[in-house]
Formats: sequence, structure tokens, C-alpha cells
Amino acid sequence: MIPLRFRAELPPIEEPLVVRLRDRPTDDFHDDREAALIGIAEGWREYDFNGFSLRIEAEPGQSLDGDVVLAFPGRPIVHRLIRARSHHNTFLVTERCDQLCLMCSQPPKQVHLDLFAQFGQAALLAPVGATIGISGGEPLLFKEQIFALIGNTLSVRPDLRFHVLTNAQHFDSEDGPFLHGRARDRVLWGIPLYAPDAADHDAIVVKDGAFARLFQSVATLAKAGAQIELRTVVTRRNAALLPRLARLIATELPFCTSWALMQLEPIGFGRMNWDTLFHDNSVDFGPVARALNIALARDIDVALYNFPLCTIPEEYRTYAPSTISDWKQKYLETCQGCSLKTRCGGFFEWYDPDRGFARVGLE
Amino acid sequence: MNVWPLRFTDVGRDALLFCDEAGGFFRSDDAFLERYANDILTEADRDFLLAGGHSFEEEGDRHHVGFAARWAKRQFVPGPLEYIILVPTLRCDLACRYCQVSRVNANARGFDWNEATLNAVLALIDSLTSERIKIEFQGGEPLLRLDLLSRVRDFCRRRFRSAEFVVCTNLQKVSEEAWAFLAAADTFVSTSFDGDALTHTRQRTLDPAQTATFLSNLERAMTTLGTGKVSALPTIDPDNPPAPDAIIAGFARLGLRSIYLRPVNYHGFARKRFGQGDQQLWNAYYDRFIDALIAYNAHAAEPMEEFYFTHCLRRIFRAGHHGHVDMRNPNILGADYLVIDHDGTLYPTDEARMMTRIGQMDLSIGSVFGGLDQEKLQILNANSDNNFHEDCGQCVFQPFCGVDVIDDLSRYGRIDLSRHETAFCRRHTALFTRIFELIYTDDAATRRSLAAWLGVPAFDPALAPVHK
Ligand code: SF4
Ligand code: SF4
Repeated sequence: MIPLRFRAELPPIEEPLVVRLRDRPTDDFHDDREAALIGIAEGWREYDFNGFSLRIEAEPGQSLDGDVVLAFPGRPIVHRLIRARSHHNTFLVTERCDQLCLMCSQPPKQVHLDLFAQFGQAALLAPVGATIGISGGEPLLFKEQIFALIGNTLSVRPDLRFHVLTNAQHFDSEDGPFLHGRARDRVLWGIPLYAPDAADHDAIVVKDGAFARLFQSVATLAKAGAQIELRTVVTRRNAALLPRLARLIATELPFCTSWALMQLEPIGFGRMNWDTLFHDNSVDFGPVARALNIALARDIDVALYNFPLCTIPEEYRTYAPSTISDWKQKYLETCQGCSLKTRCGGFFEWYDPDRGFARVGLE
Repeated sequence: MNVWPLRFTDVGRDALLFCDEAGGFFRSDDAFLERYANDILTEADRDFLLAGGHSFEEEGDRHHVGFAARWAKRQFVPGPLEYIILVPTLRCDLACRYCQVSRVNANARGFDWNEATLNAVLALIDSLTSERIKIEFQGGEPLLRLDLLSRVRDFCRRRFRSAEFVVCTNLQKVSEEAWAFLAAADTFVSTSFDGDALTHTRQRTLDPAQTATFLSNLERAMTTLGTGKVSALPTIDPDNPPAPDAIIAGFARLGLRSIYLRPVNYHGFARKRFGQGDQQLWNAYYDRFIDALIAYNAHAAEPMEEFYFTHCLRRIFRAGHHGHVDMRNPNILGADYLVIDHDGTLYPTDEARMMTRIGQMDLSIGSVFGGLDQEKLQILNANSDNNFHEDCGQCVFQPFCGVDVIDDLSRYGRIDLSRHETAFCRRHTALFTRIFELIYTDDAATRRSLAAWLGVPAFDPALAPVHK
């Protein structure tokens, strides 16, 4: 696993610190926001930050050049908010949520630590052309702050993109101007939709009225020309409904940019409820195949996320890009020497083969 | 509940095909029609219509929004001009029996761009607002003026972020310089191959040795340029067509997976030699060809398609499928693509160029020297959509169909005929009828072909909804 935190010795700070690490100072080096490497000894890297020393413990192979880290006063740790060499940089902006999805990988908590100012500083330091993920909890419980974060960042850094995961319970018609403005071409809204009817969807997200509210939000997004990615985690609870869901998306959501059918992530509630939720597509790919065929024929751009390639029939593999984030990805022993490994995403770090797919590995 | 207007047509065996204006369709029967017409829909009817997107509860609900979005997507909105067909020379080294472009002999004078024309063409290209461009070189035989092709290509590569070039050549005489030109990654080859050597000789080269040269050039193109960069179109004489199997086998052998059948187009030389084409003869042949494709695909590892059939099939399922300039609605002329002739005259389509050249009707729309003739374009575009046409407005195929003002003018000299009397309408009625017949055929071979043509792993029965 790629480390997202390092032990550190901090300069004397009173406020949370956001700083970009540099192996050597660049021409446009910013003293107040960047730290330059001045030496490495016994696993510790020493940086010069405005005349103070910042020390970070990291394995020799790790490149930290261009990474943006966050530190809190009095805590000997830095968090890697942005890894310059990764496409998977996500700000977890809150752990609060107004849904309680059966398979949630990040179960909600009531406490909220407000770091919007720090996220704003970090975003400005992101590599050129980067996409920044925003996730939670439900980010739009803090809609004002999120819109400000995106709007301010894009006004200084029009090269960046955002991918916001939201349950779409909070958009109103007043959001039109924001959605239609700079955000329109730069923000992809990832919205979970689990079933083709209110009863099933509401039961899965454990919130009455969620389905209806979602469509209200989506109408606002569509009107503004926003980019929408629909996301459906495939479970035993909704597998049989997928063909109908495909038809609904093609018929009622033809303006969505893409649709991701996602295998369950064994963490959080997904791990807790694994035995009742996990749909083993290596045994029964039927409903996923049908959904894919219906949606594709009608011009919906469908992809299978987090599906190990050997668990799906050959003719469907081109629709399954490698999607598991690098820092939580692993391969099994079976994967050694597999001819598909370079384009296969493998498994989640916390995947347990004894409770997982019945058939893994190429014949 | 509000049901969107449904059009319908009898498809035999007590079945009716229904279709709404956004292109949502289903099969049902007379009993349902009765209930629909008399407004006595059952609970099951209502559920079916709502789930299929044919109705809504109230304005702005998800059913309503979805329908509006699909309807809007079906209307073609031209983007900026970024597709230009260039005719740098009218000269050609072949004299095919039905030459579609009214060519002149290879040694004729005064049928090539001169320096002033070339400069004006480049200036026009330079004035475009798009960041990408597609240039199609036609003729005559464009390879006779490789020098002009190179200069246009060099210019476009410098000027645009992305540029693509298609050379429409007879592949008869290809110099080593020409092969090098065609080998570039951004350059594609389109040629004519009438299906088998015999037909090709009869219709084009008139000399088996010449045909052999062509075939070896085509093979060289396929192997050295790659199958993805070469397309070949057979021209079919419906009075004397090659057997469908022979064409399919001939194309498959070469590694060509897409066949764009074109009936002899009665223009120029061809019009003098042949009579008016017999639409029925063509439709019957086309039908047999589709049958042959389905039979072939049932066992083939690599499926084959007829290009236009595939295109129309996709238009049925995909609201935004506007990629073919001959088939869209509204079909706005002189907007996103343009033809520039050997003398710098501008035309909305290649067909319009031919009509003008044979003196049938002047359909030029300006010149590279003076710009577009907006007034004339406005007249041509006044009738460019089928939504409100009295015949099309009742036609179950209207959302998928298009308009071809130039074709109507070319055949009848007018555009106010009843649609059903036009060749365009007859051809498309037959085509869409056939496609829907296949969509509702529950047979493994047919479904396999449909899947291949739609570009999906399998054709799901849910794509062919039926309501009883
Ligand atoms: S064996 Fe491993 S690498 Fe190969 S397809 Fe399966 S999961 Fe992917
Ligand atoms: S042209 Fe004919 S087939 Fe096409 S929409 Fe009009 S009436 Fe229908």
C-alpha cells in the first residue's frame, strides 16, 4: 500500500499547515507555501520551510516531489493531501452524511472537522491539469463551502478539474448559475443511483424520499448542462434490478455523461455486510451483462469499476478499466504471471479471498 | 398521466409498431390502439407507457425531462465548419461506365486548381473557427495532383490542433511518393471496389490487367497502411448486381469489415447511359444483401456490416447519432461541411456539384473568391427538416429519418412532391421497415448481427419492447 501519512517533525506552527514539498527549489518557488529538500539521513528527509526545519520520515524509493501535505500543530504527522504522481487525489471534506447506504465504504460520523481553508490552499498547489476528488460523507451538506472551494480554485487555476461524489439530495434551482458557470465543464458530479424505483433505492440508501429528491437535483444539473456520472454499486440487493435500471437511465437520464457499475468495496459497511451484499459476478454475470448491453446500445457510456478481469466473460472485459486507486490496490498470488495483469485493477487491499469470488484467475 | 403523441404503422400479423416523437418505440396490437384512441388505458398500459418514456405525470418530472432531452438530442445542430471536400482536379485516368463525378481525361487542361485557387482555398480554411478539421480529397483522381494535396495537408497540420485527411482514389496508378503520402498516420484511403474482379472490370477498368493492378494496390494498401485506414465502396448496378455472397467474401478476404453499398448514381455520363434507376429492384437486392450478411455473421469470427444499414440502426437506438451528412434532421446545408470544386466554386454537397456540372440546375453556393451565397443557402435550408412536413409528421420513422433536398431536386426538379413519391422516402421506408423487422426477430443469427452492428456484446430482448 502507498502510504498516505508520514511521521514528521514540524516547525513551530499555530495553525494547520499546508505545504508543497520540492526536491529542489523551482524558478517560481513560493517561500510561504513550499518547502525545499536540503538533506536525507537515515530515512528522514529534511526540508527548509521559510528558514525552519520540516522533517519527514519516508522510504527512500518514495517520490514526494510536488506532493502537498497537511500538518496539525502538536501532532508529529503529515497527511499527503495531493500526491503529484497519482491520478487518485481525493479530499475527504466531511464524515457527516444524510444517507446511510447499506454498503457505505466510509460510514458517516457526526463529528465534523472543518478544513475547507486548508483544502482550498492545497487545491491551488495541485499539479497542472490535475483532477481533484471531493468526497465524504456528503460534501454538499456544506454546499456553500464546496461551491466556494471549487469556484475560487477554478478562478485561479482554470486548468484543474473536480470530481465530486454527492448523493444529490441538496441541489436547488438557485444553484443554476454556479453549475452553469465555470464549473460546468470542469466538474463531474458522481451520483449514486441504486435501483429503478423509489422503494428499492430508498431502502438501499436508508432514507425516505431520496429517490425523488435525487431526480429533482439531477433535473437542475441537467438544465445547467452539468456533467453527471451515475454510480451503481452492484450488490445482491439490486443485481436483479440492473436491466431495468439500465432502461431507466437510457430513457430518463439520457444526458448523463457516464454510468459506472461498481463491485462492492470490502470496507466500512461493505465489509460488515459483505456476506449479505456481495454479488459474485464470477458465478452470475447475467444481470450485469444485460444492463451493459441495454445501456450501451442506447448510447450510455457504461463502465465496470472494480471488477477483476478474470471474473467477467472475455467479451465484456474491454468495458472494465483498471479503477482501484493505487494506494488501496493489491494482486493475489494467482495474478502472478497473468497475461491481463497490466490492464487489470486487481483487488482492494482489504479483499478477503475466502469470502470473495468463487472463480479467480484465467483458465 | 399525459401520453406523448404516438404514431403507428401496421407491421403484419396483428402487430402494430408505435413510436413517439423522441424515437421511443414498441410493438403492440389493435386492442391497445383502440384503448389509446379512446382514452381508456388500463393500469398496465399506463405503467408500460410511463416506464418506456412515452408519457409523464407532470411537467418537469423525470419522465418529462427525459423525453425532452431525448427529443432535443435527435435534432441535429450543426457545429462550426470542419469538414471540407476538395476537388483539386477533375482529371482522371479511368473512365468508369457510370462515373459519378463527370470527370475529364487525364491529359485535359484547365481542370486543376491554379495557384490563385489554391491560395483562396487555404485562406478559406485559415478563416475557420474550429480547432480540428477533416479534409476529403476527391476528384477526378486526386493523386494526379499529389503536390496540391501535400500543400493543403502541410497547411492544415500547422493550422489546426487535429487534422484528418481522406484521399478518395481509384488506386490505379500509385507512385512511391503517393504511397509515402498515404502512409501518414493522419491520412486515410477511400476507394471503389465493386465486389469482385469481373464486375470491377466490367464497370470500371474494362481491362482485366488494369483490374489486377488495382487489386494488388488495394492489397498493398491493406497490408502496409493497415485495415483501419482503408475503406472501399462497391457501386452496384441493380440490373446486373454481383451475388451478395461474392461481395461479402471479396471484402472479407481483404480484411474490410464494412461495406457501403451504393446504387449506381444516375448522373453525368451515367445518366446518358442508363435509364432512371428502379428503386424496387434496388430495395430487393439490398434486402438480399442484408440476409446474406446475417447468414455470414452467424458463423464468422469477424462480423461484417453494411455501413448505411448500421448507421440507420444506430439512429433508432441513439438519439444523438448524427455522424453521417446524408442522414440527419434538420439537414442544414452549407454549415458544417462544404465542397470546393476544381474552379473554386462552393457546393453544399457533392451531389449538388454534379447537378450543376451537368447543367441540370445551378446549386453552387458561392466561391472561394467571393465567399458563401447566404441568400441561396437560406432558400435551400428553408425546407431542411422533416418534423413538420405533412407526410413525415405522420410517419412512424420520422425521428430516425432525415431529408435530402438536393436528391429531390436532382430527381424531380422540385421539393414539393408528396414525400411518399420520392425515391428518398421509398428507400428509407423500406430500410426502416426492414430494420424493425430484424429488431423484432427472435432468432440467434439475427441478434448476433444486430449486436455486432450496434457494437455491443449481445442484443438484449429488452431493446425490442412489446406491450400486450
Ligand atoms: S488473475 Fe489477477 S491480474 Fe489476472 S485478471 Fe484476475 S485479478 Fe486481474
Ligand atoms: S421521408 Fe418518408 S420515411 Fe422518412 S420520415 Fe418522411 S415519410 Fe417517413
